[in-house]
Amino acid sequence: MNPAIETDNLVKQYGDITAVDNLSLRVTPGEIYAFLGLNGAGKTTTIRMLLGMVKPTFGEARVLGKRIRVGEKKPWESVGYLVETADAYPELSVRENLEAMRRLRPGTEPKTVERVIERLRLTEYADRRAGTLSHGNAQRLGLAKALLHNPQLLILDEPANGLDPAGIVEIRNLLNELAHEQGVTVFMSSHILGEVSRLANRIGIIHQGRLLQELNVDELEQNRRQRLVIRTRDPQAARSLLISAGFAAEMKADGAIEVRDISAIENPDDIATRLVNAGHAPTMLNVEQEDLEHYFLRLVGMEERDVK
Amino acid sequence: MSNLGQAIWVEFLKARRSKMPLFTTLGFAMLPLTGGFFMIILKDPDLAQRVGLISAKAQIAMGVADWQTYLGFLTQAIAIGGIVLFGFIGSWVFGREYSDHTVKDLLALPTSRSSIVLAKFVVIALWTTALTLMICLIALGVGAAIALPPTPPQIILRGMATLLIAFCLTIPLITPITFFASAGHGYLPPIGIMFLVIFLAQVIAIIGWGEYFPWSIPALYSRGAALGAISYVIVLLTSIIGIAGTILWWELADQTH
Repeated sequence: MNPAIETDNLVKQYGDITAVDNLSLRVTPGEIYAFLGLNGAGKTTTIRMLLGMVKPTFGEARVLGKRIRVGEKKPWESVGYLVETADAYPELSVRENLEAMRRLRPGTEPKTVERVIERLRLTEYADRRAGTLSHGNAQRLGLAKALLHNPQLLILDEPANGLDPAGIVEIRNLLNELAHEQGVTVFMSSHILGEVSRLANRIGIIHQGRLLQELNVDELEQNRRQRLVIRTRDPQAARSLLISAGFAAEMKADGAIEVRDISAIENPDDIATRLVNAGHAPTMLNVEQEDLEHYFLRLVGMEERDVK
Repeated sequence: MSNLGQAIWVEFLKARRSKMPLFTTLGFAMLPLTGGFFMIILKDPDLAQRVGLISAKAQIAMGVADWQTYLGFLTQAIAIGGIVLFGFIGSWVFGREYSDHTVKDLLALPTSRSSIVLAKFVVIALWTTALTLMICLIALGVGAAIALPPTPPQIILRGMATLLIAFCLTIPLITPITFFASAGHGYLPPIGIMFLVIFLAQVIAIIGWGEYFPWSIPALYSRGAALGAISYVIVLLTSIIGIAGTILWWELADQTH
């Protein structure tokens, strides 16, 4: 089966700045692929190259089996997209914005406009000028434009941008439904790992233009660090005891002791016994998994202290 | 040209829903009304005396109050002011896509980018033609209302034909301005270019090379200068370069807005 998206050593340079550096991706049809990176990592430049808006300096991209290059036949009739912010013609109503987009996509039936308005819960705002919409509803309109023609492939740049928690869940369910029931391929960018980990099958992490890692969601669980967090009445003494027992115990700013040794994580009861026997009974003992935010920052080579 | 008809429909919808048709109608309506005001001053010496300096300037600039003078004034207004007024329309039609950040939604569609650019040019052409015809109709009404001296219909028809030819020489010259609206990503760069070419047109006309500078040519024509075929070819080539440049920009340039 041909990949829905395939890039081969894609490079984009703006003068001395390399926005995207040797990016090779393969997105399988029907999967939800999250493209994760900090602001300025190269996500939007990659999306613009996939959509033929920006020419690669080197390398090439194929979308739905068609090479994205000047003069090549483009696959846009089967692609829906949302790039950066969801913008619309402010003086046109929601319905008129969608009608304009429908007419620019020949073969899209008139009834699709009403259908997508309903699907994105925009019925109440259908006759309202787009310029008066809230940020969240403008985002819904942007997504409606992308979904209007029942595309095989959705390329979405930060699709949850501006949505409230209920809206995020709604869009997540919608994308899940499209992918799992209709076989739509979703390529979405985000800078929030927690958001995409609940939706994507596969995650590609980009930093400073380079693809650092590609992983499945179950690998994500395995790769996250675990730690044992301990609180006692006398943390300094307890830490000394653990260090003398051969554990790499660290004192955190909030007075907790953190131990990353596998033996401690796998046998917290042993640690508790040692502490109790030494008269430093723990007031709290917890095996914690590294949260997604820290995992992501660690992957891109930034620790929490770097972003303070 | 894929889906050009629908692209034109969409461009008309965008123009129709904006306030620009109203503003440009009001702006263009000022031309025949201002001309009519000057005619009233020229017709009535007592009023001319009462308004003092304005009437003196009007007399110097325009001569006598008749249909020929009135239509000649409008022709010059179209030839010189038209570059500004039509240029604003061209700048808006292209520049608004960048200012509203909507251009990205037009770049990866089954409707080709060339069709979208051509649709915009069609809308600009029809919009400016409608405004010019409106000027002609208002001029007929104003001329009749202020009772300009009766004149043979041929004189009026010749005056109107000259005005329309001035329009036909002016409108192609905004295509390079639309290129700068696209390449400059908004309204301000094309407006700056527009004022630059108008300034250059004046200077170049003064030093005697006006018939070779595209933006001087409509003004020279409106003043009755004998233009050679080369001037018309220059206007045509400028137009083609402007259209081709705009299409090539949309098709080939990196679109990062």
